[in-house]
Amino acid sequence: MAKNELAVVGTSPLAKELAELAHEKGFAVNVHDSARGISSTVSAIIDVEAGNEEAKKTTLRKLDADFSRLPFVLSSCLGFSTSRIASWTSRPERVVGFATFFPLKEKKVIELSSGLKTEEKALSEAEAFYRALGKEPIRVKDTPGLVFPRILSMIINEAARSLDEDVAQAEEIDVGMRLGTNYPRGPLRWADQVGLDEVLTVLEGLQRETGEDRYRPAPLLKKMVLAGWLGEKSGKGFYSYK
Amino acid sequence: MNDSLIGIVGAGTMGAGIGQVAAQAGFETLLFDISQEFIDKGAARVRAFLQRGRERGKISADEETRILSRIKPTLELQDLAACSLVIEAAPEKLELKREIFQKLDSLCSPAALLATNTSSLSVTAIAGPTRHPERVLGMHFFNPPPLMALVEVVRGEQTSPATIEQGLDVARRLGKTPVSAKDTPGFIVNRVARPFYIEALRILTDGDADVRTVDRIMKDGGGFPMGPFELMDLIGIDINFAATQSLYQAFFHDSRFRPSPIQERMVLAGLLGRKTGRGFYTYGEK
Repeated sequence: MAKNELAVVGTSPLAKELAELAHEKGFAVNVHDSARGISSTVSAIIDVEAGNEEAKKTTLRKLDADFSRLPFVLSSCLGFSTSRIASWTSRPERVVGFATFFPLKEKKVIELSSGLKTEEKALSEAEAFYRALGKEPIRVKDTPGLVFPRILSMIINEAARSLDEDVAQAEEIDVGMRLGTNYPRGPLRWADQVGLDEVLTVLEGLQRETGEDRYRPAPLLKKMVLAGWLGEKSGKGFYSYK
Repeated sequence: MNDSLIGIVGAGTMGAGIGQVAAQAGFETLLFDISQEFIDKGAARVRAFLQRGRERGKISADEETRILSRIKPTLELQDLAACSLVIEAAPEKLELKREIFQKLDSLCSPAALLATNTSSLSVTAIAGPTRHPERVLGMHFFNPPPLMALVEVVRGEQTSPATIEQGLDVARRLGKTPVSAKDTPGFIVNRVARPFYIEALRILTDGDADVRTVDRIMKDGGGFPMGPFELMDLIGIDINFAATQSLYQAFFHDSRFRPSPIQERMVLAGLLGRKTGRGFYTYGEK
């Protein structure tokens, strides 16, 4: 197998950014829409797909046969616990979850989690991989969305509810949160940047895994994702981009 | 009615701070409280703030003198009768605020704006017993008022559109950036900010990550200037807990605002953050 040959699976801006970063750091990188075209010589797979369960399963099942030699597969756990993702393959000990939001550029740390059956070796190799990309890995326990994407998604959910209930206009909510609490971005503008579909994936994942009502997504968020208003990447979200 | 006269009810941290903002913006400011002791404390706070500003070269000695000369303390609510705007910053008790607004309503011209700085009570409820609820609005300043740019201008059920326009305008003349919000629990900021604290506490309760790890991730992985636990220590665990409880009550126990048992225990133990030397972190001897 070729050392430092990396397959990135996913179509999101985060997948592209990860691929670019790995390329800069000397990896030979191929980005794939689905797991089907992955070359048999890769040394690592990163599954960046967030919410599409079938697509993620296809990627994880690559571990079963063709890629059983890979030391680890990194899989986005924005919408599923790492233990759940690991349950889709016969090699759960190699599955490591990671969760972050676009853009990666300004982030110094990346959160990782192991499933119940993940082996220490897989986790430490995944950590070494992120260090090679210049990001410090931090281990947290296995939940959908881990820490930062989980907390930010809940803030965005509350902002979307407030907007839907006519508490204030989008700009006012954003200005309020920037000036009233020193957030670096307003939550609605931030949602447009990370992608509303990714935010919804986190909320639905938390609701599914915990069964708790507190995580129910704002109806407006669901409707906007169904309408294809995903934020900057689709030209329209809470704001318009043309 | 005197257009350049602003009245402040309550000389506590918020009242004195708002009074300072008004005086700095050139308004004659009447600072009312019910005892000389409260007035003296409030005035001392403004003097100390301005003195620090002068020492750091942000204002001149002349300006300092002029600003202080514009603040006139009073123990007579009656003196606020000539104000074109009164901002109430009394303790967060509905019955007390209703009483104050009924008095102001009969003292002041119907053209005067009557604003409450409440952060957790309903503007509609405070305006309820007044004869002219159309001129009652929320003007929610943030702590400390001289430094925080935001004012939430809050529209009660009976507040007129003209009152909101005037409220936005006067907030700008006070040098602030206003946003207008409907009278709903927590308005914009206190509501939308809740998950930053509540979800972090939930992560801690469940053992998903510890205090330092969460703060580190939110700063270095999320870009927030402070982590949720550091910020709760700064705000005061008791103040933060009370804000969450108030939203939880106001939303009829919606589970997304449910307060954290960890936070309640800290309040009961007197571990209130920086002000007591210990909260989620330990600070120097206090």
